Amino acid sequence: MWKFTLRRTLIMIPQIIVLSLLIFVLAQLMPGDALSGQIGPDVDPERLDEIREEMGWNDPWYEQYASWMGGVVKGDLGDSFRFKMPVSELIGQRMVNTFWLSVATLILTYLIAIPLGIASGRYNDTWRDQLITGYTYVGFATPLFIFALVMLWIFGFKLGWFPTSGSITPGLEPGTFEYLMSKIYHLILPALSMALITTYSTIQYLRNEIVDTKHKDFILTARAKGASESRVYNRHILRNSLLPIAAFFGFEITGLIGGSIFIENIFGYPGMGQLLVESITLRDYTVLTATTLLFGVASILGALLSDIILSIVDPRIRIK
Amino acid sequence: MENKKAEEVQPKAPMKSPSGISIIWRELVRDKLALVSLIFLILIMAAVYGTSLVLDQKEIVKVDLFSIHEPPSEEFLLGTDYGGRDVFGQLVIGTKNSLTIAILVTLMTGIIGVAYGLISGYFGGHIDNIMMRILDFFMILPFTMIVIAFVAIVPKYNTITFSLIMTAFLWMGIARLIRSKALQEKELDYIQASKTLGSSHFKIIFSQLLPNVSSLIIVTMTLNLAANIGLESGLSFLGFGFPESTPSLGTLLSYARNPQTLEFRWWIWVPASILILLLMLSINNVGQALKRATDARQRRG
Amino acid sequence: MSYLEVNDLRVHFPIKGGVFGRTVGHIKAVDGVSFSLEKGKTYGLVGESGSGKTTTGRAIIGLNNITSGKVMFDGVDITNIKRAKSDARKNIQMIFQDPYSSLNPKKRVFDIVAEPLRNFENLTRSEERKRVQELMELVGLSPESILKYPHEFSGGQRQRIGIARAIALKPKLIIADEPVSALDVSVQAQVLNFMKEIQKELDLTYLFISHDLGVIKHMCDQIGIMYKGRYVEEGTADDIFTNPQHIYTKRLVAAIPDIDPNKREEKRVFREEVKKEYEQSYNDYFDEEGLAYKLQPVSDTHLVALPEKG
Repeated sequence: MWKFTLRRTLIMIPQIIVLSLLIFVLAQLMPGDALSGQIGPDVDPERLDEIREEMGWNDPWYEQYASWMGGVVKGDLGDSFRFKMPVSELIGQRMVNTFWLSVATLILTYLIAIPLGIASGRYNDTWRDQLITGYTYVGFATPLFIFALVMLWIFGFKLGWFPTSGSITPGLEPGTFEYLMSKIYHLILPALSMALITTYSTIQYLRNEIVDTKHKDFILTARAKGASESRVYNRHILRNSLLPIAAFFGFEITGLIGGSIFIENIFGYPGMGQLLVESITLRDYTVLTATTLLFGVASILGALLSDIILSIVDPRIRIK
Repeated sequence: MENKKAEEVQPKAPMKSPSGISIIWRELVRDKLALVSLIFLILIMAAVYGTSLVLDQKEIVKVDLFSIHEPPSEEFLLGTDYGGRDVFGQLVIGTKNSLTIAILVTLMTGIIGVAYGLISGYFGGHIDNIMMRILDFFMILPFTMIVIAFVAIVPKYNTITFSLIMTAFLWMGIARLIRSKALQEKELDYIQASKTLGSSHFKIIFSQLLPNVSSLIIVTMTLNLAANIGLESGLSFLGFGFPESTPSLGTLLSYARNPQTLEFRWWIWVPASILILLLMLSINNVGQALKRATDARQRRG
Repeated sequence: MSYLEVNDLRVHFPIKGGVFGRTVGHIKAVDGVSFSLEKGKTYGLVGESGSGKTTTGRAIIGLNNITSGKVMFDGVDITNIKRAKSDARKNIQMIFQDPYSSLNPKKRVFDIVAEPLRNFENLTRSEERKRVQELMELVGLSPESILKYPHEFSGGQRQRIGIARAIALKPKLIIADEPVSALDVSVQAQVLNFMKEIQKELDLTYLFISHDLGVIKHMCDQIGIMYKGRYVEEGTADDIFTNPQHIYTKRLVAAIPDIDPNKREEKRVFREEVKKEYEQSYNDYFDEEGLAYKLQPVSDTHLVALPEKG
């Protein structure tokens, strides 16, 4: 157990280093820099060159990489040229929004997936199961962004039930009850759109798991001993089927990151995903590298978390 | 099954048994939903590739300031967009472009993934270990983000370069699947037998191992095709796919990022959404039917 | 003169462990095995599962890496058979235990049997077809069925296809790894007798690996008995079956069932006796680790693993 965790964690270190190198090289390859858009008649090109020199943009790449990484380790992600503020501060605000969006999505996903998965597995091949399977089937084939657009169109614009952009109604005082409610209100539609589409894999997994477990010998034994049907499900089947779901939690993070890029852009929700797209359009590369690095590290940590939980839940994978 | 065979009268002439592929084909045709989906796909493809021979892409994407945002009429079957461009024409060309990229990416990821997975699984040991670590790394990269970053740095790209960028970050799933299957297969005696018969590793991998993972490859690639259509249109939707001069289905949808268009000009984005949905659903139907056909092993040959 | 000579063969598998997956130990699957084989004869390798008999066979043909030792075939060193001249590869072939997994399910019989021919001989398509049909006839299968798939044949027929493939290159030595243990008893005898027939016809030498002493008795001229990677006894079929010296061999021989019902009680008493002797004298025949000692000659042909006298 500890050996596996240690080995798995050690593997992560080179992963993060390679990721940071990749991102750094990508950023270096990007055409132009944050200053090239400012060239105009009233700007002195020599002054721009001076700034470039001051910023160390003309140093060899490894020196730039070293100073960048040195900053990152200390929590200094550089300054954003477009937003005129330190990147860490800029990201801080956005990250909180994305974090709550992710949490809301995860809660909704499990709230939808677990009852549906259990119902589908327990009463498999009934009309109920077919209905749920049909939903997962369509969910699997529908791209998230199309579904989100339709949701926004219907509930945001046509019915006007939910706000169509932003994360908060302007003018509210932070800390008040209204502020909190407004936050939640702005979260519901984006989170629900994402949850309804991404939930299919958990439902399918849970269903297959329960259908499989149902016919295992230890369940037959439990029944033969006279355990009631609800006891068989609650004590025996669910315990075996729900644990792996917990383990997939870490992998969900990667999915959430991909999803948040679409969701935040469609719902105009000011989070990391929106920031990423903005930073590319505005060529704000310090912001771009920082967001990409953070997203990447989050994915790596998520995978690490899942592997460790899995190794606790299922001892077989420890022996490779 | 064995008994049934014995009872049959053996014909004198050399009898050719049906091959694995033809069995899968037969199962597919038996599945009504899958058959309808397949016919739909073939029709769409024929229509799209056929009409795009006639349609002039440049003519369609030319900005016409006198007919901006026109609703569907006789002149413009599905209306026009903010540049006065015919939506129907864009839909046809967009479908063609989307399909072409999706097919290219599926083929390229398929080839890379299958080769990678077969080699890793067949050799096992240290080779497998190193190859899997590399794969793991690609796997944890957030795909959308990296592709967006790549698209941003490649200044001018076309169908091929765009497909290559997508391929670079999409081959891992199939590679991992094939690798685990290859790991199981290589322990079987027929692989060992091939070694004693003097076949080279290359020959064993591609002429002995490959046929035994072929059904898995077909199923996975079909399902990947659907996923790739979604991914491509998603990227175009965010504005990191093709430029407006080469519309894809996602380009039409990206106009809906403008709230005005989303709310009031449904004709621009709804047809494309429906088309993406239908394409993905029908490809999935075919893929799932193939999966059932290869899983169930209800062979009648 | 010996045809195949195996000298102090060792095959060790590493055990991985620790945080970095370093090698922490070895499993000694084959631990110092020597024997030699005469042309046209059948040599039987016997042992329980895990005794290293199969690993020995697979190491000779190059499916397992040899840790140390030497293998000579017809005067040529083939210890590293993968790099050896193609002649050696051609001359040594193998028949596998499981007729179901040893034939590629996705290939037609024609392609399966023709595989070795394609690797070593440049034949035209029609020559190749003719050869495969001849081989099919030789193993008693209809030449018309070469376009079928393996799953259309029964277990015994499949094993014949396996044999056809093994003899396609006219090899001199065949390593038969439990060739009949996956088959029904009724089919076993058929396949065994058939193997004897083609042995005469093609002048084959067999290394016959089996856990079944009854089968070994039927097939072999010389026998080696393995236990935990080492030899415990070696001798002619006569030596082993009428005069077993090592206690392990005695128990194996005592366990062979007898068809005669009248002798049943007699056999049972005998088995009990041997069992008692085995338990009492275990320490005389095995060292502290429970492994066999070095082989000592008891006659010209008969070797037994006994502690060195003195």
